[in-house]
Amino acid sequence: MEFESDNIKRILISEEDIIKRTNEIGAQITEDYKDDPPVVIGVIKGALYFFADLTRRIDLPVAIDMIGFGNIPDTTSNTGVVRITKDIDIDITGRRVIIVEDVIRTGLTTAYLISNLETKKPRDINVATMLYNPDRVLLPVPVKYVGFEITDGWLMGYGLDVREKGRNIPYIVELKSKP
Amino acid sequence: MPVITISRQNGSLGDELARYLADKTGTRVVTRNDLIRDLWGGIEGDIPAKLSESPKFYLNCPPDSDKSYCVLLAEEIRRVANDTHNVVFLGMGASIVLEGTDAVRVRVIASDSVRAQRTCKADNITLEEADTILTLADRKHKRFVSTLYGVDLTDDTLYDLTLNSDHLSVEEMSDSVLALAAKRELRSRIRRETMTDDSVDHQSQMPVFKNESEAEFARILDMYKIEWLYEPKTFPIEWDAEGNVTMAFSPDFYLPKFDLYLELTTMEQKYVTKKNKKMRKVQELYPGTNIRIVYKKDFAELIDRLRQFGG
Repeated sequence: MEFESDNIKRILISEEDIIKRTNEIGAQITEDYKDDPPVVIGVIKGALYFFADLTRRIDLPVAIDMIGFGNIPDTTSNTGVVRITKDIDIDITGRRVIIVEDVIRTGLTTAYLISNLETKKPRDINVATMLYNPDRVLLPVPVKYVGFEITDGWLMGYGLDVREKGRNIPYIVELKSKP
Repeated sequence: MPVITISRQNGSLGDELARYLADKTGTRVVTRNDLIRDLWGGIEGDIPAKLSESPKFYLNCPPDSDKSYCVLLAEEIRRVANDTHNVVFLGMGASIVLEGTDAVRVRVIASDSVRAQRTCKADNITLEEADTILTLADRKHKRFVSTLYGVDLTDDTLYDLTLNSDHLSVEEMSDSVLALAAKRELRSRIRRETMTDDSVDHQSQMPVFKNESEAEFARILDMYKIEWLYEPKTFPIEWDAEGNVTMAFSPDFYLPKFDLYLELTTMEQKYVTKKNKKMRKVQELYPGTNIRIVYKKDFAELIDRLRQFGG
């Protein structure tokens, strides 16, 4: 692996640990939702691998979909505006929903996604995230399933990118400095 | 949702707005006829008919009562508003009766020509006939409110919001009213809190950000469609022997949906001990108050991540 190889501090979460924990969360979701299989919605692009692995560990007839959003420049604001770039295709009215995230830091984007999905009147919404930084969370979001708690640090791999590269590394590395 | 009152001109879409709002909020529309039926429907004779037709009749007292129909009607409007909290009053001067309460008072108008066109289309009559009907209806509405409450219903100061439906759909008007109602509900809640504890309500002040970071943070919240209030409250946290406030804390932002106060700091994390202390004191003195500090590092990272993608 050439990309950012000089900047890698350590492997933070190994491939084995990811598989083990994903199996555990999958089994937990299978138990929790056995009476009413959920619609599982993955957030593009960071959650791609976690979403694919997790949904295959849920032993229920789940429906799956993906949602994407982005920060789009806007002439009236320096910060831009957040817009859904790929909406879900499945009708979630009255259904139980699990949003699958790669990482939750401030909770702002997750809160935004929940607000957006709530307008479609699901029965309930819970969140499964591969990584969660409890020290940084500003907004209380309903995170029910957490893969690993993290602290500050620049991470790459298993969906997390540095300038769109490094997502396909099958484990998570911590970088020495801001890439 | 607070009580909404709709005063309207005939042909202004005010009736349609009232019904649409009631549907949207899962409540009901209450009209003068509803209250007459509830209060005096059981009375034999022509009293209900007189109440429907003659404003002056409201100045009389019903048998066995020393209060006039007008006073009883106003009392019933206040009772329904108090008991149900979530109701749409249509007409009957409810805007005047509920002045000074948390009710959102709306007036719906339209130009004479638009109203006439709508009326002649709806009732299949000529424009001239529509004009005559509208002139009479305006006069009757005005006389009713003037006779019962001694005010001119066209006085703009009686309403929180006046909507001209010439170029607005019922849905657009409803969006405006509901946005105002949501803010009113929030503002009322904060005001009630400040009445029961020592905190101070600042909501009437215009937000003036102290620095660019606060303005930037407000833009980020807007971007994520997260509703916020800027410094809506001050929490006194220390008093001298005479009870004068010697230290207070005004968190920068309040996020109603999350019932959460956020204090932004542009100082390095190690220098924010004082703010942390204040935050802990607020939590001690005002139990149930959720406050978090957004540290400089968090904020810088947030901005950085937003530039790349999201938070």
